[in-house]
Amino acid sequence: MTRPVKIALVYQSLLGIYGDRGNATVLGKRLQWRGIDHELVVVEPGDAVPADASIYLLGGGEDMAQVSAVSALQTDGNLFRGLDEGAVLFAVCAGYQICGKTFTVGDRDEVIEGLGLLDVTTERGPQRAVGEILTRWSRADGTTSLITGFENHGGYTTLGQDANPLARVVVGVGNANDGSEGAVQGRVIGTYPHGPVLARNPDLADHLLELATGTTLEPLDKPEIERLREQRIEAVQRGAR
Amino acid sequence: MCGMAVPRHRSTRFTPGIFSRFRLQVATLAGRAAATASRLAGRGSGASIRGQVMLKLDPSAFATLLAGRRIACVSGTNGKTTTTHLLTAALRRVAADDEDVVTNADGANLHHGIASALSEHRRALVAVLETDERVVPSVVDKGDPEVLVLLNFSRDQLDRHHEIKALGRGWRDALTKAGDAGPVVVANACDPLVVWSAQPARRVVWIDTGDVWGQDAALCPGCGAVLTHRQVDGRGHWDCPACELTQPQPDYRVDGDTVSDPNGHSWTLELQVPGRFNRANAACAFAAARIMGVPPREALEGMATVTAPAGRFATTTISGTSARLLLAKNPAGWAESLPLATSDPVVLAINAAAADGRDVSWMWDVAYEQLVGRRVIATGPRAQDMAVRLAYAEVEDVAVVEDLATAFAHPWLAGLDQPVDVVSTYTPFQQLRKLGGLA
Ligand SMILES: [Zn+2]
Repeated sequence: MTRPVKIALVYQSLLGIYGDRGNATVLGKRLQWRGIDHELVVVEPGDAVPADASIYLLGGGEDMAQVSAVSALQTDGNLFRGLDEGAVLFAVCAGYQICGKTFTVGDRDEVIEGLGLLDVTTERGPQRAVGEILTRWSRADGTTSLITGFENHGGYTTLGQDANPLARVVVGVGNANDGSEGAVQGRVIGTYPHGPVLARNPDLADHLLELATGTTLEPLDKPEIERLREQRIEAVQRGAR
Repeated sequence: MCGMAVPRHRSTRFTPGIFSRFRLQVATLAGRAAATASRLAGRGSGASIRGQVMLKLDPSAFATLLAGRRIACVSGTNGKTTTTHLLTAALRRVAADDEDVVTNADGANLHHGIASALSEHRRALVAVLETDERVVPSVVDKGDPEVLVLLNFSRDQLDRHHEIKALGRGWRDALTKAGDAGPVVVANACDPLVVWSAQPARRVVWIDTGDVWGQDAALCPGCGAVLTHRQVDGRGHWDCPACELTQPQPDYRVDGDTVSDPNGHSWTLELQVPGRFNRANAACAFAAARIMGVPPREALEGMATVTAPAGRFATTTISGTSARLLLAKNPAGWAESLPLATSDPVVLAINAAAADGRDVSWMWDVAYEQLVGRRVIATGPRAQDMAVRLAYAEVEDVAVVEDLATAFAHPWLAGLDQPVDVVSTYTPFQQLRKLGGLA
């Protein structure tokens, strides 16, 4: 028997401001619906992060929470151990920013050292990016999918040489209004569409699961998700933000 | 940085003079005309447009209208409207005439909404003002309130209000500046950000509301350390391990329907509004009423008369179906309202207009899993988002009917012997009130 796929939702009360736990719910259910066992570990600040998870999730949060999360993750160390063992990290919004080399907080743009898992840096952008976002995500095999979500961030992110964009922006701001959105480096994926982005984007959810399990998953037929995708993509293309 | 500070109002204290009074009269008349025109055009009560016209013609009207009255302000993320109604009812119980107490009962709680309500009741000596969190500093600054009720802080419409802590900082600054001339604050001791915001007040009456929402209280607002939450005698207690901030000893404490007061007396709430959350609201209103001089029994009798503040908890008929309306504007509101919705089926009405918050991510922070085994009718423009959330909650019997009026004609609703419970975000709630003839 294979062991259950362990999903670690890291520091939910610090980095879970936008319903980010939804990503854990989505991943868990998509395994369960295929008859694959999983274990969801909700890690709160003060608890040890498991070193043996298959997927780690980081969500959105306020400035102080970002600083607090970086310091706790560095002290704990298990996220790094898990990634060394081949785990996948999916980080959104503030969680994406803290994975970078540096990010800034507060009115005086204090520079904070990030986790260094992605070759990206983040600083305050000219204006806050708030609204629906639509991007085109390309897989390694050349196939693409549209990603629909909601972005809400004051920081703009610049990619260094070692990180590749996750997707190209169709509508929205993304990393820094430069046409790129998110970052991929090895098995670490960062993205701005926050909260339950995987709920609207089952292809991305299944991609994370396939990366983490090393298996190919059979498709799931969920017409309500397809209908929601059509609605949101249509609304954004019509100009609603 | 994911978040960013909200800009604050700057203001100076204003002394009304004879000329300003004349100007105010002109502004009031112009505002009234605009309100009448708006009503005739079928665009609501006109309260907001009245206030906008007035404040445009006379920017000092806000301070002038507040001057010379005894003022109680009610603010916080959730429960403002209901608490304002409860406190108003308590005060009216001892007033010679209802007209002696003015309130913005329709929930128009920004500067122009408050100005509008006050302008229509120039002689009322007491004002109970539902006050938007962003407006509290300027009311403290210009209005010299006697009592300020601070209910709670939770994430709400994050596409507009990026950091709730910035709101708390505004309150702290205003209370610090007001010093000994500031209001007595009635504050929820269970909410760390409320406690931090209320601390500088000259006097705080702390209410142990038994609040259960802790998801927005991970970090100490004072120093940024991770707060500890533990249970003491079956009640939550929070504390900062790194600084002095800790849950204060309460003056009032809510236990079910019982409220104990600082004198060791226990009082029984007899409310017509449902739920634990409203008992917490009532305890805050009760404390505020007593500070304003209302004897406890009269305060309780007054509060017992409140049934459906601005349509909340009202039962009405929509498309031939009897429906009870519950409002939920954010995750904390849903956590309180959803358990009150016990009918089968239950209706969930969802939109993401500006007043609802344009981002529906919050629905993943609400435990819709509790609806498993019941039928759900999802309605409103964003019903499909709810359908996906319910699918992941494994709620199986879900009907999606985007049009509100059509949803209430759904076959599942035929022949129910109880009203169907409806939980709604803000803008569908207002439409449902209209469809039900309540507004
Ligand atoms: Zn502290």
